[in-house]
Amino acid sequence: MTAIILGIIGILLAPVLGGLIAGLDRKVTARMQSRFGPPILQPFYDVFKLFGKEPAIVNVWQVFCAYVYVASAAISVGLLFAGGDLLLLFFVQAVGAVFLVFGALAAPSPYSQVGAHRELLQILAYEPLIILVFVGFYLATGSFKVADILAHNQPLLLQMPLLFLVLGYALTIKLRKSPFDLSTSHHGHQELVKGVLIEYSGPYLALVEVAHWYETVLVLGLCALFWHTSIFGMAILLAVTYFAEVLLDNVTARMTWRWMLGYVWGIGLAMSAVNLVWISFKGA
Amino acid sequence: MLETLLFLLVVLPILGGAACLVVPSRYLRGAVIVGTCALTAAASLSLLGYGPFSGTPETVFLIPVRGLITLLDFVLLGVILFYAFSLKNRLIQLLFGFQIVALAFFEMFMAKHTAAPTFFADTLSIVMVLVISIVGSLICIYGIPYMQAHEEHLHLAKTRQPRFFLFLVGFLGAMNGLVLADDITFVYFFFEITTFCSFMLIGHDQTEIAIKNATRALLLNGVGGVAFLLGMIWANSVTGSLSIQEIIAAGPAAKGLLFAVALICLAGFTKAAQLPFQSWLLGAMVAPTPVSALLHSSTMVKAGVFLVLRFSPAFAGTFLGTAIAVCGAFTFVATAALAVSQSNAKKILAYSTISNLGLMIACAGLGTPQAITAGVLLLVFHAVSKGLLFCCVGHIEQHIHSRDIEDMRGLSVTMPRAALITIIGLVTMMMPPFGVLLSKWMAIEAAADNLFVIVMLAVGSALTVLIYARWGGNMMSAPYKAQPQKAPMPLLVGLPLMAMAGGAVLLSLAAPVLYTRLVLPLVKSAPYDVAAGTLTNPVGSFLVYPLFILLGFGFFMALRAVLKSKATVLPPYFGGANLPDSTGFKGPLGAPVPYQGGNYYLTGVFGEDKLTMWINVGAGMLLAMMMGGAL
Repeated sequence: MTAIILGIIGILLAPVLGGLIAGLDRKVTARMQSRFGPPILQPFYDVFKLFGKEPAIVNVWQVFCAYVYVASAAISVGLLFAGGDLLLLFFVQAVGAVFLVFGALAAPSPYSQVGAHRELLQILAYEPLIILVFVGFYLATGSFKVADILAHNQPLLLQMPLLFLVLGYALTIKLRKSPFDLSTSHHGHQELVKGVLIEYSGPYLALVEVAHWYETVLVLGLCALFWHTSIFGMAILLAVTYFAEVLLDNVTARMTWRWMLGYVWGIGLAMSAVNLVWISFKGA
Repeated sequence: MLETLLFLLVVLPILGGAACLVVPSRYLRGAVIVGTCALTAAASLSLLGYGPFSGTPETVFLIPVRGLITLLDFVLLGVILFYAFSLKNRLIQLLFGFQIVALAFFEMFMAKHTAAPTFFADTLSIVMVLVISIVGSLICIYGIPYMQAHEEHLHLAKTRQPRFFLFLVGFLGAMNGLVLADDITFVYFFFEITTFCSFMLIGHDQTEIAIKNATRALLLNGVGGVAFLLGMIWANSVTGSLSIQEIIAAGPAAKGLLFAVALICLAGFTKAAQLPFQSWLLGAMVAPTPVSALLHSSTMVKAGVFLVLRFSPAFAGTFLGTAIAVCGAFTFVATAALAVSQSNAKKILAYSTISNLGLMIACAGLGTPQAITAGVLLLVFHAVSKGLLFCCVGHIEQHIHSRDIEDMRGLSVTMPRAALITIIGLVTMMMPPFGVLLSKWMAIEAAADNLFVIVMLAVGSALTVLIYARWGGNMMSAPYKAQPQKAPMPLLVGLPLMAMAGGAVLLSLAAPVLYTRLVLPLVKSAPYDVAAGTLTNPVGSFLVYPLFILLGFGFFMALRAVLKSKATVLPPYFGGANLPDSTGFKGPLGAPVPYQGGNYYLTGVFGEDKLTMWINVGAGMLLAMMMGGAL
């Protein structure tokens, strides 16, 4: 019962948190670029405005896909807060990620098509890494369930530093930060315009945006599991991680999918393997 | 009762197939096929009610069973040898000539019969019988209108369907025999029938390429036959028994038995088209689609997986088990990577079939109760979803005359029903809460202690998503403002498709029941507790019913939004002035540039020409490790 309530709290709270993080992100980014930046609440204003717009689509599948995207993102966050199985909640999240791509592929627009394929490559790049991070949690704590991991008595960062970096890669790709903003990026002044998102508009774009907030909270929640023993530690870890993301976003340029796949799989898989060997041979 | 059931499951489909040869009209033939399939499927359900059994049927049509099977075994090998001579293939002649000599020597001088029952069914056999008899039957029924259209397309002077359905329907009987027999010589006989039937079915169209690929299938499965025969002889000389149950009971402890088991698993590998034996399955795609659907979802290849699963207690906890798990996991990831570069839908399905079979075999190799559960469940769910997808591709191909996923753009408008069913098939192959993903989740959690296997599973499962997501998206795409059309779908096509699509969804919902009723009796200790539709153990939990409700609610809201949507349909953005009908944009000097889309196939990284050789070399090394490790 507590699990269900926690799950519901997660589902309700996550969009608020996610929106605030997005607002902070924009503010910090602006400061890094010597701009003043929008108010912290700007993402909420944007989404509310989008909800009020006249709905327009290119293909009716987009409506379906936007709804499924937000539903599965919300359910996966709910599962995280309810202490559910890491692999399961990640697979539920993947439903939404794939439906976002489905919707983009449904539109006969070159930008949308290329963006969708690049988004698929991004999924391909981060998915194995995240699964291996979960395997690390299992080897260290004996369980894939968040509730059991939280019951573990020491911060996992000490045992899984390399896997934390690996998760950092996955976070950067998932948040579509440079150098991995291949499928779409914050501004439309680039060759793909808005890529995978280009044909989503009005209320449907708002749904996609909310789903993205959920996903941000989800991946940051996974990061938080690395220092779950103290709220303070968790907060520091998340703040440092997210700041590093924003910094990275501002100092790197976008790379190609080939580079992403080679680099992320090469280094990411190697670091995962080394850390998994570390945990399993040292003994939890 | 038992003998009647065995008769209905094993002999009846063969008789029904033979009846197809003699009935004069095509309507009568259709009736015979539907009747045979319905009876076989009903018999499989009553076997489910009957439960596990073991027994020794003495006679069929007053002929002693053992004598009959031994006789037919030599007849069958002789027929294959005849084909080997007419194909002028020295290697196949050698393989099957050797089998005749070795089998004769074995039967005359070596075979020691015990009083063990010749037929045996635990719930694994029952699961297999259900998959073969129900999914297989649906595919056979689907074959009736398909073959009619197929022959019209080929403009044949004289129909070759009687011969086709003899082998197609007969196949079900052979497969049921294979999974129900416990006497290993019987299993060998049925194993060889499936080899022969697949040879005849793959070569059915008699084109040059069909004959070439059928020959290759015969050759590789001949290698499997030799491995099986040697394994059988070896096992018999070690344990003094022909009963598979007695051989397994002798266990990994029996000296020298492990290598015999490894040989039988090698035979399973060839049947299941594991690397490096994958080429026969890829070649088999030249056959009419019902053949691909039958061979690669519910029958032929599952026989290979069945053998490895059946013998898994005999290598549990040994190095052989680990080696099999590594081989299977390598096949899983390598063939998923190869599938990325393909645009031919049947080839995508072929590679993904091999990939999934690899995962099942990896599970059998890991051998823990959790892994076995994953393997058996994957076998069931994969059969339904993959059978469905093959049949969908066949139906689509007969309409658009292409099996390329690039040509399937816009199908949600031109063939809305077929497109929707295909999308359901794709979704059930890769997403929760459906069964294939449930089994994959189990497999990953079961493999988490084996670093080699888990890394390969992690990469492989990501590749799988890419393959199916791309295809599903193509099916959904549609030209701007295209009006949905109505495409014809014959009753005998629509019925099996809808039955399999419905089955894939409902079976996933029934996963907890399936697990308790059919998988639990197979494993030593219960790997999961079932409560409130959730599978839980200390390591993880999968919320089957809750996820069905939550995601189902999400899908329902999405559907409602679609139906209530008053959204204006606007033209897509082309970054320039659209043409008046928005099918493209105005290029330089106002010249029209039409919209074109194309998928990423990443051939520079995942191309067959880039990867196949290295993958085969790697698989060969792993196979050497497996066989050498068993010595």
